[in-house]
Amino acid sequence: MSLRFHWMLPKGGEVKLDGRQTPREAARYRIESMTTSSPAPKPDLAGWTHFARHAEEAGIESVLISFSRYEPDPFLVSCALGHAVKKLKFIIAYRSGLMQPATFVQQMNTVAAMVQGRVAFNIVAGSSSEEQRGYGDFLSHDERYARAEEFLAVCNAFWRAKEPVDFDGKYYRVEQGKLATPFLAPDRTAPEIYVSGHSERSERLAWSEGSCWLRVAETPEKLAPIVARTRERGIGVCLRLCLLCRPTREEAISVAESLLPEDRKESTTTLKDDSQMYREGSSVKSDAHWLNDSLWTGLVPHYGPVWTTLLGTPRELADALLEYERIGVTEFIMSGWPEVETVDLFGREILPLVRKV
Amino acid sequence: MNLRFHWMLPKGGEVGMKTAQETSRVATTKASSPAALPDIEGWGRFARCAEAAGIESVLLSFSRYEPDTILVACAVGQVSTNLKFIVAYRMGLMQPATFVQQINTLSGLIGGRVSLNIVAGSSAVEQRGYGDFLDHDERYARAEEFLSVCHSFWANNGEVNFKGQYCHVEKGTIYTPFQAPDRKAPEIYVSGHSEQAQHLAMSQGSCWLRLIDTPEKLSPMVSRFRENGVEVCLRLCVVCRPTHEEAIVAARALLPSEEVGREERGILSRSDSRTLKDALAAADNVGWMNRNLWAGLVPYYGSSAITLVGSPRDLAAAFLEYKRIGITQFIIAGWPKLDEMTIFGREVLPLVREAEQG
Repeated sequence: MSLRFHWMLPKGGEVKLDGRQTPREAARYRIESMTTSSPAPKPDLAGWTHFARHAEEAGIESVLISFSRYEPDPFLVSCALGHAVKKLKFIIAYRSGLMQPATFVQQMNTVAAMVQGRVAFNIVAGSSSEEQRGYGDFLSHDERYARAEEFLAVCNAFWRAKEPVDFDGKYYRVEQGKLATPFLAPDRTAPEIYVSGHSERSERLAWSEGSCWLRVAETPEKLAPIVARTRERGIGVCLRLCLLCRPTREEAISVAESLLPEDRKESTTTLKDDSQMYREGSSVKSDAHWLNDSLWTGLVPHYGPVWTTLLGTPRELADALLEYERIGVTEFIMSGWPEVETVDLFGREILPLVRKV
Repeated sequence: MNLRFHWMLPKGGEVGMKTAQETSRVATTKASSPAALPDIEGWGRFARCAEAAGIESVLLSFSRYEPDTILVACAVGQVSTNLKFIVAYRMGLMQPATFVQQINTLSGLIGGRVSLNIVAGSSAVEQRGYGDFLDHDERYARAEEFLSVCHSFWANNGEVNFKGQYCHVEKGTIYTPFQAPDRKAPEIYVSGHSEQAQHLAMSQGSCWLRLIDTPEKLSPMVSRFRENGVEVCLRLCVVCRPTHEEAIVAARALLPSEEVGREERGILSRSDSRTLKDALAAADNVGWMNRNLWAGLVPYYGSSAITLVGSPRDLAAAFLEYKRIGITQFIIAGWPKLDEMTIFGREVLPLVREAEQG
């Protein structure tokens, strides 16, 4: 199996159709997207379509559409964007606790039928209690995982269903559930399910109900044993990382340094108060910027673990990705600053080196 | 104000069907029915015909037999330009904040062409299959809370806090706004005949949606709503032919086999919805409710099949009579789905508009 490469869908308004954007401007846009004055919460079909065409051209398989109160709903974004582009797939991030699993399956199956099956599901148990309470969800971190487990069990029952679905759990109860709209895809009868998180609960949830465990990149040495135990269970492993690629290492480092905030105390990580992933991220010391020669964490203390960056020349980055393949990693979800230029660069300079091997 | 005319969006596959018999509800609940699948090609064609006929919106019905309405509106919205979508949704399926986030996103993607039809839920069996175990009255109490939370989000006056019996939100914010040229929140049609439904329409809705009845019967109810600043929209079917006699023949030809009737009667009589019970009673006890209003199709095509039958002049006069008693909107269907709408746009609507100008 070849490595599979996905990309983060840019925020609304992030893709500039006219004029260039420096890496720093692109990074700042994302950081400031969680403020009321940002245009990011508004759907941006023109910008997304522009990005999606570049991603298809670059050889990217899917885009991950993130979920939060700061963004448009990912089901609708996939439905609209799936009409505009015909090859790209959509990994829809959603939280449990927001709707009934039957309703979720009905929406997922509907969108699948509209975009020729090009949808997958990234379940997030929920990273901020405060944000969850704003949606009407008052469970604690561990309870949210217990509920996510039931949620996926009910969803999988609908997707497998030959019979009406009956389920009587602690969080969900369904009696004689039937949905007429099937999940339609050329090669599947249910979506791939990415379970994300760093806690042991998330890992176990991926094993029991998922098809792939999604987490932030770490050094291959640290990841090797964890990846091995997930792969043994027939579950894929997908790493989330940012890419920073320049012809020379020195150029790449100087771009990275330009991304550091002027205010060295700036932080958006407190928004994700009870995520294990974010707790790990905040323990990264600001002065220890490197996990190894190519993994740079300079932005992690400020903006969280998903800003973990693979940095270097095209050859160095291709080697790093192949090293992850060697330890069993199967997929990547990437982003960069700015997104369009970075995805172009990835398709032109890095992916051919990976595919050659 | 001119009368506003909306149409039912046909179910998946129906746009291509030529006879009414193929589209009876019992056929759409069969496992093999194409109604389960989105029909973007057929719906796109229907949407363009609706726009050409002068129809303002299409109503998208919600059930477990059909694709999700919010996503259908998004997809058909991509292939049409003026048509609006009245999205039917049931309560008890998602958090109000999530619902608002989806509706707001939809509005941003299709130029604000979205309204809501809130249905408390018409079948307890179907609701339990979704994980909702409340009874009829509780479903309405929940709908009241649900809509009041939605309204708080749309009012956009800072964080939403709400603690009721069914909904609880603490410091809620949805950043994606409702985007429309002329509104900050969608129009809300509340449907149902029960006391609870009427109360909900008055307190949380912009329009009460109910089945058509004779103007005499409706008149006092309609006045009550209009006095409270809430509009009334009637759901009906039409059969229009050059003469009254031809229309009656055409309407009678729509009757399907007795077997379909037995199955549909089962669905109607098992429901805990007041609307469905009322419609069946009209069919059984009255039949012709006046010269042009016929309930004879209800036992075969369901509660919404009370049909206005007549010539273009008969129908235009009937619509204007409803306007006189205070009705402002209609949601119509006919058989075949596309042809009857085209007849309406060509023959009936110009007569209505002419009278409205004069």
